[in-house]
Amino acid sequence: MAKSVWAASMSGLVLVASGVATLAADPLPPDVTHRPLPTQPFSVVKAKDEAQKSAIMNRQRALLARRYDLSDRPMRGIMMSGGRRAVQSGARVRLAKGMTWEALAAFSPSEIRRRGLLPEGFKPLPHVKQPTGGQVFPNREIRELIRQERRDLRRFDVDFDLPDHHTPEFPPPLFLTTHTELGDVSRGQLITIKNFYEIMNGLLTPVQMEGLRLLLTPFPQEEFNQTEDRKSADQSLGVACLDCHANFHTNAAFHLTPDVRPQAARFRLDTSSLRGLFNQQIHGSKRSIRSVEDFTEFEQRTAYFNGDHASAARKGVNLPDRANQVAMMAQMQSIVDFPPAPKLDPRGRLDPTLATQDELAGERLFMGKARCAECHVPQVAFMDNNMHDLKLERFYDVGATSNDFVMLPDGPIKTFTLRGIKDSPPYLHDGRLPTLADTVEFFNLVLGLKLTQQEKASLVAYMLAL
Amino acid sequence: MRILATLATLTTLILLARDAAAQGGNPAGMEPGTPANHPNTQDRLFVQLIAAGGHAEVSMAALAESRARSSRVKEFARAMARDHSKANKRLAALIEDRIQAPDGPDPEHRATRARLARLSGAQFDLAYMRAQLVDHQKAIQLLEWEINGGQNAQLRRHASETLLTVMHHLEMAQAIVAELTRTAPQGLAASSVTRRPVKTSAQHGRPPSIVHR
Repeated sequence: MAKSVWAASMSGLVLVASGVATLAADPLPPDVTHRPLPTQPFSVVKAKDEAQKSAIMNRQRALLARRYDLSDRPMRGIMMSGGRRAVQSGARVRLAKGMTWEALAAFSPSEIRRRGLLPEGFKPLPHVKQPTGGQVFPNREIRELIRQERRDLRRFDVDFDLPDHHTPEFPPPLFLTTHTELGDVSRGQLITIKNFYEIMNGLLTPVQMEGLRLLLTPFPQEEFNQTEDRKSADQSLGVACLDCHANFHTNAAFHLTPDVRPQAARFRLDTSSLRGLFNQQIHGSKRSIRSVEDFTEFEQRTAYFNGDHASAARKGVNLPDRANQVAMMAQMQSIVDFPPAPKLDPRGRLDPTLATQDELAGERLFMGKARCAECHVPQVAFMDNNMHDLKLERFYDVGATSNDFVMLPDGPIKTFTLRGIKDSPPYLHDGRLPTLADTVEFFNLVLGLKLTQQEKASLVAYMLAL
Repeated sequence: MRILATLATLTTLILLARDAAAQGGNPAGMEPGTPANHPNTQDRLFVQLIAAGGHAEVSMAALAESRARSSRVKEFARAMARDHSKANKRLAALIEDRIQAPDGPDPEHRATRARLARLSGAQFDLAYMRAQLVDHQKAIQLLEWEINGGQNAQLRRHASETLLTVMHHLEMAQAIVAELTRTAPQGLAASSVTRRPVKTSAQHGRPPSIVHR
């Protein structure tokens, strides 16, 4: 008995001793999770950034040219919903010399990985400047905000990297679930803090109007604020929600995911459309947030401040009041409708009296051989309100670096809706696929579908009708 | 005699009560000495806006009839000229002397017309039709506003009748814009599509075979 008490107390001592030993070891460096405080004056950082800018952009252009053919080759007669931009044709991801899509699809994932055959364009797409990251806006959005608001979202360290014709039409039309009779209610304008009241007066409730005002109000953001730690030449008033979600759709502005560390492994995020949000039960590509209220409330610390609440506090975070402001913003977002798809019946299936044979063939594939509808369920707005892991890392070596970006597995990502999908290139959560034809080739490979050329074309025709 | 006087007082009270109910927040108030049966602020504003819009429609339709390239746009412009001239006349007949109605388009519409007058061909067609979309959307809001809160029963009835026509105009405009831009019809036009007979099935990259009925 006495012996066992002694033994027990001795083992306790050993545990305490080993605990002390662990505490004595240094953790990883201090800024591996948190954003470091700036150590240099603004003018020094700005001069360095400006000096690097053209090399940074040239490197990104070279990367894009290796990955894709981004030439302007629109489909004849196929326009986005507002009629302001044509939909681009064909698969644009480049194959290795001598390779064909059919030959590639014949290899197993492990063979593709071993031989390094996965097209570079199928791998995660890097941000233009990984170590800094942050929000990058397309030039058309920047120009229009300067015109309307005198607010300048240009960065001195980086520019937007994709050509206009591979981004959504601008300004995109806006459809409301409360006024389906009217069609696009944007009057062909980018809705801003300046014009929203005039355009929306009479169409919205006071609560929705106030929600819209808040969604259009600029608040400080990591790269656009008044401190020395910013990437705008002038002290900036900040960024509004709808600066990326232009007219509640997307202008293809991009960012880094707020949900991953270290910085080198944060993947690029392409702005997602807010159309059809009323049917969406989970929010955020990676976070699976369960209500739009939760998402709206927390974006001030994620989209705005990279999931770093300490940095947010320093630069003047705006935390909207849950009971009023958040609710009003959420109610505004929840009346944003999809663009019209007149060939779909109320359950999301093609009306055979309206659809072409090609579209109908595409729908049969979508529901069957191509396995799309397993996640993109037509009757629930082509979503399943779940996240799925495509396990793309079966096809490439995890940990490879591309433009300072360390490619780790994507892990589970939210199923995005396919309603109005022709309006929102580029595709996938990071915008790595320029066209709908690219998405078909991607899933043909990832899911091992063995689709024929004709079947791939039918799937594209079907998606254009959604 | 006393009974008659009481009745008259009662009627006045009822009318006053109804006027009060019909006026929303922020009434501008009446000038001193305004007659008791003076039309309310809303009726006056409604007449002003709808009359100016009506004149603008006729004036822009005249421009479109001579300028448009597409026969469907010309046809639409003729319908606008016809329907809005008729509506303008009907409105003029309803207006009491005390309401001042404009006899031409307002400055905003004059500016739109001037902008359109600088365009031609397909550019004109699309710009005119897109301006028509916005004008008819606004007109619908205005008519619904008068139906809800106007005072003059005849004006409100006029608004109700006009609303159906304006909805139909909006649907026509949506269908034409869809055709001009090769997009799926929006709004009301989205729910009245019919299939155009197609000869071959394997046509990739062709426009969706949707026509407006």
